[in-house]
Amino acid sequence: MSEPTSADTLSELARCRDEIERLDNEIIALLGKRLTLGKRTGALKRAAGLPILDPTREAAVIRRVTEHARQSGLPTEPVREIFWQIVGMSRRAQENA
Amino acid sequence: MIIVTKPHISDAEIDHIRERIESVGMRTHLSRGEVRTIIGCIGDESLLDEVPLRSMPGVESVTPVLKPYKLASREFVADRTIVRVGGRDSEATFGGDTITVIAGPCSVENREMLFDTAHVVADSGARMLRGGAFKPRTSPYAFQGLGARALELLAEVRAETGLPIVTEVMDTRQVDLVAEHADMLQVGARNMQNFALLAELGHVRRPVLLKRGLSATIKELLMAAEYIMANGNHDVVLCERGIRTYETATRNTLDVAAIPVLKRETHLPVIVDPSHAGGDASLVAPLAFAAIAAGADGLIVEVHPDPERALSDGDQSLPPAAFTTLMEGVATFARAANRELSPLRHPARAVA
Repeated sequence: MSEPTSADTLSELARCRDEIERLDNEIIALLGKRLTLGKRTGALKRAAGLPILDPTREAAVIRRVTEHARQSGLPTEPVREIFWQIVGMSRRAQENA
Repeated sequence: MIIVTKPHISDAEIDHIRERIESVGMRTHLSRGEVRTIIGCIGDESLLDEVPLRSMPGVESVTPVLKPYKLASREFVADRTIVRVGGRDSEATFGGDTITVIAGPCSVENREMLFDTAHVVADSGARMLRGGAFKPRTSPYAFQGLGARALELLAEVRAETGLPIVTEVMDTRQVDLVAEHADMLQVGARNMQNFALLAELGHVRRPVLLKRGLSATIKELLMAAEYIMANGNHDVVLCERGIRTYETATRNTLDVAAIPVLKRETHLPVIVDPSHAGGDASLVAPLAFAAIAAGADGLIVEVHPDPERALSDGDQSLPPAAFTTLMEGVATFARAANRELSPLRHPARAVA
């Protein structure tokens, strides 16, 4: 169904996969940092007597990443979905902190 | 609540409307059609009482969705949904102008029968292969399926024939395993209201074939679809497979009227299983033709190289020659309904 694969193509594929794995690790590390900051925010909200759930703030975050994704040429709906998950994860961490 | 936007609404205006809705704790779903864009609101609608939606720039109209199902309802999206299954080389689609046929054995029994059946159904125009790995049998003593081994065989057949595969998942614990091998995950009639399973399927990015429960109403079927969609997976194909009535001459009673009713109520594709509906090989063709005449987007048919020796559902399985004849009839009925059989995408692969 396709051309015989050359050794060059295969090694390039392996290189791309390594790079993807490295980026995945970076994403995980960044998520960890974001979660730590989220927990800190949660503690500060508590100290200030503010509620943990702040839908207005969450909606603003989603709007900001939507615009950013659009400007970067990324599909906006999947990015919104990913960030709703991240925002939800952060909120749960704040609630349990 | 659905918001129909004005034509030529800007991205910034859409962002603004969505932010206002989401800032009260609701979520939104965007559907861009050829002529209109719809923003669906998901959550407690009373939260929107204070939001002046009608006066926001870009809003044409605001309408409440009165049905208990929202994401599945016809008005929630701009155009009917087309569900794409499988990879780029061998994609099968459900919905739109074509009729797509899934065929294969009730259960995967061994390598030889699966490969034989796959080639026969592909040559006759089927675009997807079915085959049970985990079988929900009424009796605990009946053949329960080959399990993980069957999944591996199905994946091997896909590699050889290019046919995407659908197989049933019965349990939340099997979802990841089945999703690893199959292109589409089937929820059987007996599991249609297994809400834990439906929620789990919402989290995987694989299209779902949702069969109507034996005693489920159309509304209950749509609520089951809503469960999957509310959990994030919008690629759901509904399947009418007959319902339980007082009639004993047939295994189930095919609810033909459910097809146009579903097409009115939902944007999701609807296919029909004439094999389980009648429970008898001689009823498969007439029920299949009725389904297409009533507007079905596809069929799922049981085919076995030697029905007499089938380990399950032999009575309702078609032998290969009968399936070929059936497909000729299906093509004729499809044309009469202004549809056509889903064309072969990569002929070189399917006959390889």
